[in-house]
Amino acid sequence: MIFVLEDTINGILMGSIYGLTALGLTIIFGVLKVINFAHGSMLMVGMYVAYWAVALTGLHPYMALFVVVPVMFFFGYYVQDLIIKPIFKAEKEVREPITVIIVTTGIWYILDNLTLLLFGPDYRILQDNPLRGKMLEAGQMLISVPKLWGFCAAVVTAASVYVFFQKTRMGRAIRATSLDREAASLMGINQYKVYNIAFGIGTASAGIAAITLVPFFNVYPTVGVLFDIKGFIIVVLGGLGSIWGAIVGGIIIGLIESVAPQFMTATWTEAIVYGLFLLVLFVKPSGLFGVKYDW
Amino acid sequence: MTPKKINNCALVLIVLIAFGVPLVVRSATYLHILILLYMYAYLTTSWNLVGGFAGVLPLGHAAFVGIGAYTSTILSLQYGVSPWLGMIIGGLLAAIVGVIIGKPTFKMRGAYFALATIAFGEGIRVLIENIDYLGPLNFNGPRGLQIPPLDTGLSRFMFEAKEPYYYIILVMLVAVLALTYFISRSKLGFYLNAGGEEPEAAMALGVNVARAKLIAMAMSCFLTALAGTFWAQLTLYIHPKSIISLDLSFEIAFIALIGGRGSIAGPVLGALLLRPVSDFSRIYFGDTVPGLHLIIFGVVLIVVMIYQPRGLQEPLTRAYNRLIHRFFGPQGSGRAA
Amino acid sequence: MNMLEVKQLTKDFGGLRAIDSLDLTIGKQEILGLIGPNGAGKSTAFNCIAGVYAPTMGDVYFEGSRINGQKPWVLCKKGIARTFQIVKPFATKTVLYNVMVGSFANTNKRSEAKEKAMQILEFLQFADKKDIRAGNLTIGDRKRLEIARALATEPKLLLLDEVMAGLRPSEVDELVDMVRRLRQSGITIFVIEHIMRAIMALSDRIVVIHFGRKIAEGSPEKVASDENVIKAYLGGEYVVS
Repeated sequence: MIFVLEDTINGILMGSIYGLTALGLTIIFGVLKVINFAHGSMLMVGMYVAYWAVALTGLHPYMALFVVVPVMFFFGYYVQDLIIKPIFKAEKEVREPITVIIVTTGIWYILDNLTLLLFGPDYRILQDNPLRGKMLEAGQMLISVPKLWGFCAAVVTAASVYVFFQKTRMGRAIRATSLDREAASLMGINQYKVYNIAFGIGTASAGIAAITLVPFFNVYPTVGVLFDIKGFIIVVLGGLGSIWGAIVGGIIIGLIESVAPQFMTATWTEAIVYGLFLLVLFVKPSGLFGVKYDW
Repeated sequence: MTPKKINNCALVLIVLIAFGVPLVVRSATYLHILILLYMYAYLTTSWNLVGGFAGVLPLGHAAFVGIGAYTSTILSLQYGVSPWLGMIIGGLLAAIVGVIIGKPTFKMRGAYFALATIAFGEGIRVLIENIDYLGPLNFNGPRGLQIPPLDTGLSRFMFEAKEPYYYIILVMLVAVLALTYFISRSKLGFYLNAGGEEPEAAMALGVNVARAKLIAMAMSCFLTALAGTFWAQLTLYIHPKSIISLDLSFEIAFIALIGGRGSIAGPVLGALLLRPVSDFSRIYFGDTVPGLHLIIFGVVLIVVMIYQPRGLQEPLTRAYNRLIHRFFGPQGSGRAA
Repeated sequence: MNMLEVKQLTKDFGGLRAIDSLDLTIGKQEILGLIGPNGAGKSTAFNCIAGVYAPTMGDVYFEGSRINGQKPWVLCKKGIARTFQIVKPFATKTVLYNVMVGSFANTNKRSEAKEKAMQILEFLQFADKKDIRAGNLTIGDRKRLEIARALATEPKLLLLDEVMAGLRPSEVDELVDMVRRLRQSGITIFVIEHIMRAIMALSDRIVVIHFGRKIAEGSPEKVASDENVIKAYLGGEYVVS
């Protein structure tokens, strides 16, 4: 019984980190109506930046925040500005920018394989960081400390993004653009600038996720793929474009992954996740918190 | 000569040359590279029925390749069914599955369909990796299935030489291109294009957009599964990671977009361009720079999408017309296929 | 029998009532104008008739049979065609291709569809532009393309949603003339328009709605002098020119 509780808690914690990795996906989709397939690769880049920032300076892993978040914001900002924006412009006659979706896949391939070229296929872990393997004892239960911090980071990040979109002027401009590009541009909002910023915010949130992962997770060139597919499932589960949906969706996946292996072989849990995903698509395609039909 | 006649002559010439290639190219390695090139052109042309004409983005077509390969292989290994018959059964199965996936997702934004197909593709892979036996059917999990090269011959769809495979896939490619040509000029083709570009306007003009897309999806999945059987018989070994990989699904989409989504020549052009890059970079740089071809794919894709969003087929068609114009005078310039 | 009968039509969006108990009828070969201030519910009414939205309450009858909640493509085949206020051309395709999508509604043969499309293009004096990509057309020509596509489906009832907005005065005159010829060819026309000069010249009768309710109905002259209309819609200072 106590094991189930422990697994449940660890599942919620890890799941919230999954949610945090998917948060950027949902932000970017909400505004650009584009799935950023390179999001996992962006997360991977964030993990490398965090890894090197800590490995080279010897600082506390969480201090990397001050390097990673700005670096990732501008990384996302300029990927959108230099690569995705021109394609939006070339395809402005087309209502659904499918080419943009597939181009983000191209970015994924480039980022993953360039990283492979630069750093090789080695798995890297921050060897002696103060958080590695650190456990909190609660009664008979062991709870991972870096995952607990990850949970806090997920909630705080999601809340700040939510407040940003609801309360600030810039956030409102972004939301207006996501509702109606043409109307927003008539009001003097620069659509592409808004896209850049939304992309930057989405990527920066992947950076925060990267920092929470680096103390206990291996860093390697294709680590993003692991979170990419998971991220897609999470955002559809929670509802594409919904911020809290991403966190809740992540927690659901985390729970399945941690609790289900008690009852079956671990490899089957992955199949269950895909099954659940397809089920949601059939029964409630808009997800738990999504808008029903948003043409 | 009218432009139509010139185009037809050029087309016949190209097909004749393609059929004559094995008389000149004797190297099994090069023939194999060509076979794979045609197979990718075939797969992309099949994909194009949905991804190009219907204006949605399927990213899990590897799953249908897998359905075709596993259906015919299991039927032939365990029940002695001819792979040719297994090919058709696999195709029908894939078509049914395709409709089941398409039905709930075609109503949604295109992004949902893209995600659903990705998750479906990965889901099928994970499922097969986890299944050793399903009832009496032996999937053999992640180890995959080996086809023992016992009796060769046309009826067993198994040959010692490469040439028969070359001709089979060439005929399949020509057939699927012809089919695409007729569809693109038919009511279905018009309805798919219209529904893909502006669904609301299309509906107001009498188009049942979802139904058109489902028909296209069924055909596309059927045709894709046929290539799965071909692949299985060519390599005589299938396992989930190779035949149902995400990379395969993406490569098909890349080829289509770079060549020209929604055009007939686009998938062939894309395969002609990308497959050699992929094969030769693997042969020459596979050890030193693994993944080089993927970097090249990515860069080419981005550059093409920025400067030629309709794919390379557009400028190449223009160049072709200019050439015809120069050699055959103004009455010769027309529209190419 | 009336071509179209709308009885007590009501449409809600969430808590907002976009159309409130709207009654109207259109006789065969009549031209009925629908006017009202921005946001009065004109386009919503069209969308309810053309099958984009199912009405919340009330009924729509087309040639005597009830058509509530039927899908747009079904209604199109029955003989209701419409244009969109915000034009929606198939931008990457040629003008001819666009029109052929419409003419395929009544045939499965490409040659027949093409022939029909060419007839329509000739009728609209548009045939010289048949090979131009729709995305490269001027706004005036895009509006004309909307009408051409709708006509290609061989409608009995044509719903025109602000096809004259954004056109030059000479183009407006041409279009008024063309709509009249359409009516002579036997088509019933229901038109939403903001350009007063055009709708006054064109309509046999005009219905005025405001906040989803009908506030006046009658001949153009009667509506133009109706006090309610002037107050509610024309804002008191507006003069009909």
